Amino acid sequence: MDKRHVHETNPKRTFVTVIIFVVVIVVGLLTIRSPKLKYELSPSQTVELVTSEEHVMYPYELEDIFSGAIDTVILIDIRNKFEFGRGHIDGAENISAITLLSQDNIKRLKQSMDNGMTIVIYGNNQLEANGPWMVFRQLGFDNVKVLLGGYNFYKEWKDMLGDTYYEDSYLLGAPRYDYAEVASSTAIVQGEDDPESKKPVTVKRKKKSSVAEGGC
Amino acid sequence: MNKNYIILAILFIILAGGYFLLPERENIKQMKPEDLMRDIVQTSRYVTTDQVAEMIIEGDPTLELIDVRNEYDYFEYSLPNAINIPMDSILVEEYQDYLGIEDMNVVFFSNDDILADQVWVIAKRMGYGSLYVMEGGLNCWISTIIKPEAPQETASKEAIELYDFRMGASMYFTGSDISTPSEEGAKPVTVKRKKKGSVAEGGC
Repeated sequence: MDKRHVHETNPKRTFVTVIIFVVVIVVGLLTIRSPKLKYELSPSQTVELVTSEEHVMYPYELEDIFSGAIDTVILIDIRNKFEFGRGHIDGAENISAITLLSQDNIKRLKQSMDNGMTIVIYGNNQLEANGPWMVFRQLGFDNVKVLLGGYNFYKEWKDMLGDTYYEDSYLLGAPRYDYAEVASSTAIVQGEDDPESKKPVTVKRKKKSSVAEGGC
Repeated sequence: MNKNYIILAILFIILAGGYFLLPERENIKQMKPEDLMRDIVQTSRYVTTDQVAEMIIEGDPTLELIDVRNEYDYFEYSLPNAINIPMDSILVEEYQDYLGIEDMNVVFFSNDDILADQVWVIAKRMGYGSLYVMEGGLNCWISTIIKPEAPQETASKEAIELYDFRMGASMYFTGSDISTPSEEGAKPVTVKRKKKGSVAEGGC
């Protein structure tokens, strides 16, 4: 009885086995697909990013774009086609939020970023653009900005954008009430009487405009 | 010893080196960017101040309010039973237990809704579910729930009912004794002028 191991008695078989083994592993390593999109920022870097409060564009800066003083900005309207069709900021390009991460768009935006362009995205308000902006930042697009106030603010002020320099109604984040007063005082509710309201007025019926009243 | 052993050993050590070629995989439960974007586009994460008020009043046991402003603001004023997790410590280990609780609906809020929405994006990426954002934040809370604005006489029935609800909620949250709107409204044809047009009353 031969006490030697099988691979010593039959080296050919061993060789074939080893080859198959190696091929399987190498093929496995080569075909592992890396994800198409990767986060470049870790979650804690993202926290830092949003606390830094940079990377916003003020509405009055639009004037410089319109006048041509700044020509390195790409304005992107992330609302849907319908809303874009109803009105948009001059020179904006429409890429609705849902298609922002399509391969074509990512490739194109990356290219323009490498060419030193700044990408400014806007929705109807700042909130709409906030999420997409954060995703872009986390994907490593570090020159993507959000237009403060969004389209709604622009629409209201488009003929006097320069004046918005002293305007702060579009700035969010600050309390608009004295919370301490709210917390302590109780009898604050009833609205101020304005003298005009005493006049008897004939009641005018509204048609049926029930546009979700009371929504925020 | 057979030198085949040595050759085989070396071969497998080399193959093991292939491990370093593997793409780095972070925390597996993190959400993929594509999925995160898809969820961001949905607006179902927003709850209104009215919904939050109703849940508080009804004592909804699944409601978990999280104030993402700083500690100072939190102690000055916050919603009843809200927990304070400042934005910059949302990833701190000891707070993680508050986020992944089964059956709890976490509602983030801040002064407006941007900060709360940012926290939402980060928490969502970390893989937490059942997360919501209070639309309009505390500013909207005060203008709709604490100091609701009376609708015009001509307002729709829904608007008046909403106002009644808000007046009740206001009383609930401030404990104040308010003259009810119906008393005032009972006076015939007293119309309160609003400054501007009457689009979306009570909106923030």
